[in-house]
Amino acid sequence: MSELADVETPTVADFARTFRRVQAEIHKVIIGHEQAVEELLSALFAGGHVLIEGVPGTGKTTLVKTLGLALDLSFNRIQFTVDLMPADITGTRVILSGDDGRREFTFQPGPVFCHILLGDEINRATPKTQSALLEAMAELQVTVSGITYPLAPPYFVMATLNPIEMEGTYPLPEAQLDRFLFKVRLNYPDEEQLVRIISSTTGPEEAGVAPVFSGAEASNRIESLKKLVREVIAAPAMDQYAARIVRATQPEHSRYVGESPRSMHDEMVNRYVMFGSSPRGAQALIMGAKVRALLDGRANVAREDIEAVAVPALAHRIMLNYAAHSDAVAAEQIVERVIKSASAARG
Amino acid sequence: MARLKLRLNSLAIQHLAFRVLAALLFAGALIFVAANWVSPLIFLAASAVISLAAVAAIIRAVRGGLAMRTSAVGAAQIADQRANLKGRLVTIVEVAARPHRGALWPYVVEDALAYREEFAAKRIERRRIERSVWILGAAMIAAAVMIPLARARHPSILAETGQPADLTIDLDDLHLRPADPGDNAGLEVQADSSTMGRLQAKLAQDGLDPGATSAKAPGGILNSARTLAQRVQNKLRGEQAARKHRLTLKLADAGGDQASNPRGDDSARRRQNRQGEAAGQFKREHAFDQDIPLPKIDQTRPPDEPQAAGGNGELQTPGSANSESSPDADSAPDTSDQRGNLGSSGGPAHGIGADPDSLFGAATKSAMSTEGFEISIEARAMAHGAKGSGQAYLPPKVRTPLSPEQQADEPIARAAVPAEDRTTIERVFER
Repeated sequence: MSELADVETPTVADFARTFRRVQAEIHKVIIGHEQAVEELLSALFAGGHVLIEGVPGTGKTTLVKTLGLALDLSFNRIQFTVDLMPADITGTRVILSGDDGRREFTFQPGPVFCHILLGDEINRATPKTQSALLEAMAELQVTVSGITYPLAPPYFVMATLNPIEMEGTYPLPEAQLDRFLFKVRLNYPDEEQLVRIISSTTGPEEAGVAPVFSGAEASNRIESLKKLVREVIAAPAMDQYAARIVRATQPEHSRYVGESPRSMHDEMVNRYVMFGSSPRGAQALIMGAKVRALLDGRANVAREDIEAVAVPALAHRIMLNYAAHSDAVAAEQIVERVIKSASAARG
Repeated sequence: MARLKLRLNSLAIQHLAFRVLAALLFAGALIFVAANWVSPLIFLAASAVISLAAVAAIIRAVRGGLAMRTSAVGAAQIADQRANLKGRLVTIVEVAARPHRGALWPYVVEDALAYREEFAAKRIERRRIERSVWILGAAMIAAAVMIPLARARHPSILAETGQPADLTIDLDDLHLRPADPGDNAGLEVQADSSTMGRLQAKLAQDGLDPGATSAKAPGGILNSARTLAQRVQNKLRGEQAARKHRLTLKLADAGGDQASNPRGDDSARRRQNRQGEAAGQFKREHAFDQDIPLPKIDQTRPPDEPQAAGGNGELQTPGSANSESSPDADSAPDTSDQRGNLGSSGGPAHGIGADPDSLFGAATKSAMSTEGFEISIEARAMAHGAKGSGQAYLPPKVRTPLSPEQQADEPIARAAVPAEDRTTIERVFER
């Protein structure tokens, strides 16, 4: 924190300017995916982690690598496979010989010790291995053999999911899904974007990414910007709106849902949702909305901000039932329906 | 923001007041129209429905008005929404009360003040008068149109004709029959106790005992409801008018007189009782102590025209009688024709109204009549029709030609009656 004190407190305008600069650097390499990039950066400055879902070849890994380069932060990549073990992620204690010839257990940090971690195809690892990331993501620390090792902030995990080739994969546990602030979807580029991708990646020159921050100040600047995000004011009415949206994602008949006004529950939710969003969803709504407010030059949260981040913040937290899969209803549709109802209710 | 809140709450109060007034006014006008246009039972049902609708409208208006009320936060939300201020005002209003407002609070305030012009009260809510004033205006116009129409439609025959509302009729001449349930309004029977007793006995004999219907029976409840509705209708129309339209039926009891008094002792009283009974039937007494002339039997008219009153003792309304006879008939003075003398002339009035006092006279010679005969079917007083019609029932004139096998009515010529038979004849006719 003492290092943070040396950094000049950013203003609202600083935040928006920095955000746009990073965004522009990423788009030097990533063609298209503007919304995905914005959501990715929003999650970074909101202090959350991102789950990226996209078909192969849509630039998931490239996006994460580019982000690491633009922020000039340490970057690690883990390719999740079925035989990957938790120790392969967190690190383990190994016997090392010292200079004096003595042998002792020494902790060998795993790839999780970095600023930006890419977990590629995380659903190919076993749940046990997937869960190895839980502590790191939630508490920014890793415990190995009873010893806790803190992670250096900023810590940003991006995990990718391949929605096809589902055979031999392990869907992420709900507890781990819930720890991702946003789920960002990367779709195939359109024809124009595809032409630009071809021309920029098959030529003799590769697009270069210039770091926005210089060396050591990067982490401090990012942390100060994250602190600024938390300073954004959310009026009680906005907190209430976010809470109402989260409650509306929960089916009325669920035994885990308490008493609530009947008008809150949409018929679509009752029909297709098994479990609605957790309270972490409401936190994600407000944090994402704060980032959007700063990007808009405001220091207060508006309902429009909450609605704008509702789909990436809530869709992956909603567990659909068999009827939804049978009727090809996606969680995004449920969230959009809930937002529409909530927006209509407030007039 | 306080000014905006004041304006919004003022509109909420106007919304409530205008709509409540409109509902009351429109419902009142409808009830008034119903009071003038429909029969009591329909009026009762219509009033209930209108009242329920009015109450529902008032409840809705009150709820709407209360829902339109707004707090400072609500006013800020409305301003945010209408001026597209993206939560700036509601944030300021809600967070201002917090002890710790955060590092960015000054920025929020400054940012909001930059939009000061955008959220001025006159820009957020331009109206000072709520739109519901149009509803109130429409209700006032509707009431202004409906009330005169209702007054014009009021079906009061007696009031329209200005005829007297009292009738005197002999109990023996009173023909009783079950009445239309909706046709008893405005009729009041007056008689002395003995006559009333005979009336009850006659009603019981004819199976029309009014006491047979319990007040708790459905018919009794219906009658009570009808009476209640009639009273309300009368009040709505105006009490004076209702009293003016009321028909008083005064019963005279010739049979009772005969039983209690020796023959010849009260010939003067009998004459008084029967004075003016056209063809021995009834006398109308003026409601306001005016000497209203009785219907005149116009012998100058052709025989197929109805006389002022039927010969069977049933009543014919003044209105209906007047519509058939000449206007002079009502205003003509009481003549001897009305004392039963027309019986001597035979023809359609032959044998009716046989007053014992006029039974005997000089023998006359009547020529054979070749005319047919006329049947007077029915005529009765009807101030208010059962179905709300404004006109009394007028009996159709039926003229039936004689068949070849029939012979014309041959009136009996007045003949000299021996003095020893006169008492017997008089007694027979008195019955």
